[in-house]
Amino acid sequence: MQLTDIALNSLRRRKGRMIFLVLGLAIGVATVVALVAITDTMQTDIAVKMDEYGANILIVPKASDLSLSYGGVTVASAAYDVGELSLADLDRLQTIPNARNISVVAPKLLGAIPVLRPAEGTVGEQPVLVAGVRFPDELRLKQWWQLDGAEPGGTYDALAGVRLAQALTLHPGATLKLNGQTFRVVGILAENGTQDDDILFIDLAAAQQVMNKPDGISLVEVAALCIACPVEDMVKQISEVLPQARVTALRQAVTLRMETVGQLGRFALAMAAVVTAIGGMVVLTTMLSSVSERRQEIGLFRAMGFRQQHVMRIILSEAALVSMAGGVSGWLAGMSAAVLLMPYLANVTMPVQWNPWWAFGAAGGALVIGLGASIYPAVYAARLDPTIALRSL
Amino acid sequence: MIELQDVTKTYNAGEALVYALRDVSLQVAEGEFVAIMGPSGSGKSTLLTILGAMNSPSAGQVTIDGINVYQLGAEWQADFRHEYVGFVFQQLQLLPYLTAQENVLLALAIAKLPKATKIARAREVLAQVGLGGKEGRLPYQLSGGEQGRVAVARALVNRAPLLLADEPTGNLDRATGVQILNLLRALNRTGQTVVMVTHDAHAASCAGRIVNLLDGQIVA
Repeated sequence: MQLTDIALNSLRRRKGRMIFLVLGLAIGVATVVALVAITDTMQTDIAVKMDEYGANILIVPKASDLSLSYGGVTVASAAYDVGELSLADLDRLQTIPNARNISVVAPKLLGAIPVLRPAEGTVGEQPVLVAGVRFPDELRLKQWWQLDGAEPGGTYDALAGVRLAQALTLHPGATLKLNGQTFRVVGILAENGTQDDDILFIDLAAAQQVMNKPDGISLVEVAALCIACPVEDMVKQISEVLPQARVTALRQAVTLRMETVGQLGRFALAMAAVVTAIGGMVVLTTMLSSVSERRQEIGLFRAMGFRQQHVMRIILSEAALVSMAGGVSGWLAGMSAAVLLMPYLANVTMPVQWNPWWAFGAAGGALVIGLGASIYPAVYAARLDPTIALRSL
Repeated sequence: MIELQDVTKTYNAGEALVYALRDVSLQVAEGEFVAIMGPSGSGKSTLLTILGAMNSPSAGQVTIDGINVYQLGAEWQADFRHEYVGFVFQQLQLLPYLTAQENVLLALAIAKLPKATKIARAREVLAQVGLGGKEGRLPYQLSGGEQGRVAVARALVNRAPLLLADEPTGNLDRATGVQILNLLRALNRTGQTVVMVTHDAHAASCAGRIVNLLDGQIVA
């Protein structure tokens, strides 16, 4: 007969009450686990979607003469022929430690080129900004683009920004010449309020050809999945592999994303705090009631020479066992609920991840709640006067 | 040697001060069997709990084997009870969900002994009180006398030098009461110090010395 045997015996004798307590804790833990699992999945889903929704790292050549701006960010002007980046540099991006966090790499070659409209037989009075891009990457990066027409499929297909199209009376199917090479406008971009409205987008290889810059790149936009990585680390890593480049984190975009994701986490935490408080109250009242019922028994222990700490150990052992049971069963119930409810609660394509570490977290959390809420009942039991306790029959 | 010097115990009953014991002085020698007699409310049980390091006196001093019991801290008093005192309670206080052996082992739960030693000692003491072979029985499967013997066995298992019994025959029929008294007397013959509280003159006659209490004072 040890103190733990006494605790186990007590739990066995009060099955109903202890099952109620386990259930109470399990419901609390399940609610928290389900909330955390759902919000975590939603966070990851949102983060992935948002990370794919635009660049958050910009790579430009180190240059002393900057004149053109793009997307609100000043970049080295192609007109000054900086051209210090090349296609080979893109391969180096895949060698950084956080390469797995890179979602999209969208290189661009920028240039100001006079446009000839063969149909009208005129050359534009001033050059327009032409961006050579890899259309599959560009379309993935700029999922907000809306096209009037079709997506480019051929090497000499072009997309025109809406204001450029208006200025040059371009429309899907129109042709134009850039340095002697004919391009066909397959789509007009809907107005989106950025400099894209003023740009003619053509294929990167075609741009390198017409600008006579084989292998040349003016800048690279990178979309990184940064929920699990500090974007600053990636900036540092890229700077190391591309020493000739200036690498900039678009902090505003990153911060906004993180804030949105963080709000969901804070909501889950607030709910967890409420549920934790309720769980603690359930444990406190149940354990107090249990101690009150056992005054005679506790008095007997004290009369037989049990120290106050022995009595506390008995009560806290009971609380620990019940809390662990509540924590583990709550984790199972919470994860199951999250898996079952996720399709109905949010339009999330990502499945709920069964993280075994959460089981330890749930059991540990329940243990902290159970033990914390049982401290007062345990102290109360330990301080019972043995003579009064024995007279309580 | 147990020595009480001018022990007084008072309780507050509203604004009035009630004396449970008043200037009680008593000595109990090692190996003695003392019966404390008196009517209900005379202070017998209070005296017993004071002897058992469970109830601090309002005034006076209690010394057991040279230890001034109530100068010890609360946890040391608990240790003292564990090592020096075995209790037999009026209601026996057997836990109904534990077997006879487990009830006895309860008193060894905090003892730093190997499990096998504890079990051996519990079986030995149960055999000593005549309950060999009935270790696995629950209290309701035992007669009143047998339950009393389990309570005595539990008080003895720590090999405490002082056995305190509070009305051990109070709730038993006469024949069963006699069995318990005979057991206490037999234990006393082996050198065990016994202090028994009773209001039953026949039970008290088993003791070597009778101390009469009336209104919290020793009268004879």
